[in-house]
Amino acid sequence: MAKTILTVDDSGSLRQMVAFSLKAAGYDVVQAVDGQDGLNKAKEKTVDLVLTDQNMPVMDGLTLITNLRTLASYQKVPILMLTTESSDEMKAKGKAAGANGWLVKPFDPKRLIEVVQKVIGA
Amino acid sequence: MKTLPIEELRELLAAVSRHGDWHLLEIETDLQQTAFLLNEAIEKLSASFMTVYAQLTDQQAALQLLADAGKLQPEEMQQLQVFQDSIGLEVNKVVTGMQFQDMTNQLLQRTINRVHGLKDLLHELSSHQFPMAADDEHEEIRRFIMQLNQNFDQGSQHLTGNLRKSVNQQDLATGDIDLF
Repeated sequence: MAKTILTVDDSGSLRQMVAFSLKAAGYDVVQAVDGQDGLNKAKEKTVDLVLTDQNMPVMDGLTLITNLRTLASYQKVPILMLTTESSDEMKAKGKAAGANGWLVKPFDPKRLIEVVQKVIGA
Repeated sequence: MKTLPIEELRELLAAVSRHGDWHLLEIETDLQQTAFLLNEAIEKLSASFMTVYAQLTDQQAALQLLADAGKLQPEEMQQLQVFQDSIGLEVNKVVTGMQFQDMTNQLLQRTINRVHGLKDLLHELSSHQFPMAADDEHEEIRRFIMQLNQNFDQGSQHLTGNLRKSVNQQDLATGDIDLF
């Protein structure tokens, strides 16, 4: 059974590229348009990995991670940030919030899949 | 009745404000138009890319059927594999390249927000109401300009604080990956 990844980004084109890459590698993908939408979808169904942007309207990525980590079902689910933000300060905030990794955009599909496979397997 | 210098000053500042506002409106309109065009471009590029990729996948599946049926020579199969590898590399490059719109859109929105902030600051020039005493014009003008400058300074700091730059990428080279 294919593993499910929740991808959260307010950019439609970016979500489409992420979903395309993950589906081509055999994963099921759930898409959310901002942090709040991501939180709602994460509650509907526990996914195997969350891949989230940082700067989004309504709820940003760090707030989403903080909220997810309060849920029992998301204590151990890997969460990766995929964002244009590249400062050490932001990475430290991400780590403190509970992120398991930080990927700076733009991503290369091959490297993205390698990271995802490393974190949750094929 | 002679117009007081401070009143003339108010009128001049309001005129400067109107000029600035007009130019900023033009800049904002151009930026919005650019954002709209880039958005439409990426939508069309994405749709075409998905269609081309789906057709390539179907084509590869059809060729695989021929290969499985033994209808292709070994050298033809080798050549097909070379094509497939090359297509895979190019697809990855396209996916990376098409992420430009996410970054350009963030930069454009930041610029548009700065334009909004500048318009508010300029509005200060035309709307400022400072009490004055006709028998002490020069001192009033000095205070008037100082107050304006102070308001500009505060507005500028507030604007800069709300416009943290989130995109520092200078090209579309793929970003770093850190696993914690």
